[in-house]
Amino acid sequence: MFNQGGLSLEQAPPISVVMRFFITASVFGVLLGIILFTNFTGIISFNQSNMQLIIVHSLALGVMASFMLGALFQMLPVIAGVVIERPTEKVMIVHGLLVVGIVVQLFAFNIASIPLLYLLAVFYLGISLLYALIIMIRRVLQIQDHSSSSKGVLFALSSFILAIIFGIYLLLTSGGYIDGVSFLKVKELHYTFAIFGWVSLLIVSISFQVVEMFYITPKYPAFFSRYLVVMIFILLLVKSFAIIFGMESQIITMFLSAIFIVYGGVTLHRLHYRKRPTSDATVWFWRLGMGLLILSMFIVFINTFTTLPNNIIFISYITFIGFALSIVFAMVYKIVPFLTWFHLSNQGYMEAPMMHDVIHPKKAKIHFKIHVAMLITWFFSALLEKADYLIVFSSLLVIASFGWLLYHLIYAVKKYNYTQEHTEKVEW
Amino acid sequence: MKKILLDARDLEHPIPLQLALNHLQTMGTNEYLYMIHRKKPIPLLEVAKEKKFPHLFYEENIDTWHILISKNNNFNLKELLDV
Repeated sequence: MFNQGGLSLEQAPPISVVMRFFITASVFGVLLGIILFTNFTGIISFNQSNMQLIIVHSLALGVMASFMLGALFQMLPVIAGVVIERPTEKVMIVHGLLVVGIVVQLFAFNIASIPLLYLLAVFYLGISLLYALIIMIRRVLQIQDHSSSSKGVLFALSSFILAIIFGIYLLLTSGGYIDGVSFLKVKELHYTFAIFGWVSLLIVSISFQVVEMFYITPKYPAFFSRYLVVMIFILLLVKSFAIIFGMESQIITMFLSAIFIVYGGVTLHRLHYRKRPTSDATVWFWRLGMGLLILSMFIVFINTFTTLPNNIIFISYITFIGFALSIVFAMVYKIVPFLTWFHLSNQGYMEAPMMHDVIHPKKAKIHFKIHVAMLITWFFSALLEKADYLIVFSSLLVIASFGWLLYHLIYAVKKYNYTQEHTEKVEW
Repeated sequence: MKKILLDARDLEHPIPLQLALNHLQTMGTNEYLYMIHRKKPIPLLEVAKEKKFPHLFYEENIDTWHILISKNNNFNLKELLDV
């Protein structure tokens, strides 16, 4: 039980590692809003047959993967005691190739007739993402005593690797480099592992650690945190075998969606019974996220035994995206002020800005309102027919949402640099 | 020697770390920080190690960790542990 040792601060990556990814994610979010706005107003004519791919991949890779990789580089040392040596150099490679890869991929989808672009996207994205994931997985595998969080992170990273491998197959097929006889099956595997495995499993795993730590909630039930991530991953593997061998996989989808509904309910219950019920925007982001997850998975659940109209299916996509973004925003508003203050304070800057000086909680609340407005407009634009004006308005709210976050991230960086350059450092 | 007690079990992250760092920055060599936390506070222990402050942590049970940090190498932290 006694231990006079500990981990070294060298294990924690510099703040630039995280901020680089978070700022990139926000820029891609603004870009996504611009793409949506210019497309629906007809200012730019995009390739309409690939428009869905352009939107989904701006969001999935540009926004979500950037946020999640940044958060993982930061959180792995803390939640799992994982050491990634020379993080700055590694992140420079991963980040640079990822940004180029996403841009090339978006051009490949939009132009569609230049096979080389698909090949380049495979090259840049493949190297960047597989390199990052292999670094992380190797380290997580070395953990002696796994917690439910570290186990879940391992499954989430493995799911992302599979999603990327399937994605490479799809890109090579689209570029005409392989014949792609299993295109449809691989496409289903690609999004199954990306949605249920990478995004959902990662959020579930991290929540077991952070919900209780950030909000002093009752613990998740022991059997729940112990077996949930394993159960989800096993169901994903069973579902993929069913897809590969052309068997019925709807029953697995039904189980998966039911599990996520229960998880969302349990998390909402934990948040309701937190010990210090302060009103913080990040709690609202978590609550909204869990509510949206439940709604999204409820639609998926119903759709497994009946045929729902397309606009209701579309609402399940919007609510799922809303869920993932809500949790990401909740994490960013916790991580960025904390890291800015912690790094400066630890370096000996006695005038280090307090967390609310980095990003004031009121700014996070304003973002929450913009985010809710954005989701409501998307919800009604899916529900109502011929609601083009709502889609245009929704696109502007996407720009506003990510633009707001981008502004405050840049402000945090400026505050950090200003403190280092203009205030006194003391040894303590 | 003076004990600075910080019971952080009911405080939201990162307030425990904030308070602990404030104490560490101003603490004299005849004082020690005695923190009780519901988790092992890894960032705080990282700071203590980097600053070469003698420190000790003890897991009393799954919800209670005792963390002792001083700036004085002559303190026997094991003796000061109150469990």
